Amino acid sequence: MSALVPVERPVRLSRGRGRGLLSALAPAAVLGVVLLLSWQLVVLVGGVQAYLLPAPSAIAQAVVSDAPALLSAARPTATAVVLAVLAGAALGVLASVVIAMFEGVARVVLALVALAGCAPIVALAPIFNAWLGSTSIASKVAVATLSVTIPVVVNTTRGLLAVSPTHREYMQSVSASRRQLLVHVRLPGALPALFDGLRVGATLSVIAVIVSEYFGGTSNALGVLIANTAAMSRFDQTWAAVFVASLLGLSLYGLIALVERVAVPWRSATSG
Amino acid sequence: MTTPTTPTPTGTAIRLAGVSKTFSTSSGDVVALDDIDLDIPEGGFVSLLGPSGCGKSTLLRVIGDLVTPTTGTVEVAGTIAAEARRTRQYGMAFQAPGLMDWRTVRRNIELPLQVQGVGRAERRQRADEMLELVKLTQFADHRPRQLSGGMQQRVAIARALAMQPRVLLMDEPLGALDEMNREHLQRELLRIWRATGTTVVFVTHSIPEAVFLSTEVVVMSPRPGRIASRIPVDLPYPRTDETRLTDEFQAAERHVRERLHAVLEPTTAGL
Repeated sequence: MSALVPVERPVRLSRGRGRGLLSALAPAAVLGVVLLLSWQLVVLVGGVQAYLLPAPSAIAQAVVSDAPALLSAARPTATAVVLAVLAGAALGVLASVVIAMFEGVARVVLALVALAGCAPIVALAPIFNAWLGSTSIASKVAVATLSVTIPVVVNTTRGLLAVSPTHREYMQSVSASRRQLLVHVRLPGALPALFDGLRVGATLSVIAVIVSEYFGGTSNALGVLIANTAAMSRFDQTWAAVFVASLLGLSLYGLIALVERVAVPWRSATSG
Repeated sequence: MTTPTTPTPTGTAIRLAGVSKTFSTSSGDVVALDDIDLDIPEGGFVSLLGPSGCGKSTLLRVIGDLVTPTTGTVEVAGTIAAEARRTRQYGMAFQAPGLMDWRTVRRNIELPLQVQGVGRAERRQRADEMLELVKLTQFADHRPRQLSGGMQQRVAIARALAMQPRVLLMDEPLGALDEMNREHLQRELLRIWRATGTTVVFVTHSIPEAVFLSTEVVVMSPRPGRIASRIPVDLPYPRTDETRLTDEFQAAERHVRERLHAVLEPTTAGL
């Protein structure tokens, strides 16, 4: 029938993404090692007092020797953080859907929420401690949930509102209901934005929980450990606790990235 | 129109009477369409051709009930356009494929069926039929972004056809493709049209495309959008690449070009 049939090739996914990840991480790893070594060197050669800045080796030693105490302190902190992220994500998505339903006022509401996000939410910690009792983790979860909810709402609502005109017109042409537009277009389309918000929120939630714990209450938590050891000038232990808190934040970040890979597979489909 | 291979239109699929559309903008009213009367026969392939601003896309959207006309009536398959859209008589494809990144190719084609409430098994079967029709079976589980632009547009066409619509409305669906892909998809489109017998309304600004595809070319003039002339294309189907080289094709193309230039003359005179 025809002499000229253009060859159409699908865009190939790059293979060996694992190797790409490794080569991307290698420079960071090298830089990290160099920084740690210089730190160690500055402390040793410069004769810096341990209460000012302990050497990385001393911190590592404290991490090992205090491992049981650190682990048991990390448990309530991690529990509060995870609960806050889950609650914040759920509340945030729910609020976003409600806000996006009222397209006329959504932008105004969104601006107000973003404005609220500029306030230092952790500053509310003493107030929440007074409301919900400083000895329970409820007050910590509450403050952290708030700091997760706000970035999730801001990002997810923006995602829900940003429907491509072609998608909208297509759904209209097949006489789709508002609910069908939400389920088939708006929600999946907003998933990448939701994860952007969640990543910001996760970082904030670790800060919120730890700072809330500074204000006392529960006897055993990372924030309490940090505050107490610092008060006793046991700074190697303080640093060890800070290290564990950072590890907690990092793991949470990694976990969210992992969930995103499963939930939003199309996002990485062309980035290879 | 006399060759036995030409589809013989029976009845009227689309009827527009006294249709006009005025858009209110901050700088005053803009008349996009002015007093349009148009009958499109069942099984016809009608192209709307004209310069930008002639209202051809608006006219397509009026037919598809995506834009409500200011005056006039639109009848599709014997009922008003709103009812036709509600009962899902339309398949639409746009210049952008508009596929959902979060769905595989197969699930994209299933989307209109899902909206319609068709069961899972039947959805899948229909999608597989459509995939075969557009020759993309082996890419069923790919993501849209893994496909080339031409392949994405074929998926969009398959999606538009999945509900077995009475009317297929296409707004420059091949406009963003390179020449090779474009001519390839034109042949595919004719094949699909002849296989399904769907009535097609096709917006384009390409003269050869309009002539190659259509049973009739409707030339529109801008400001306000009006129908300038209607030109039946009497070339036999199936049309192939050889058709493009025939004297008849080139004569038809010249004829359409003259009509289009007559439309442009008042605005381009003196340039």
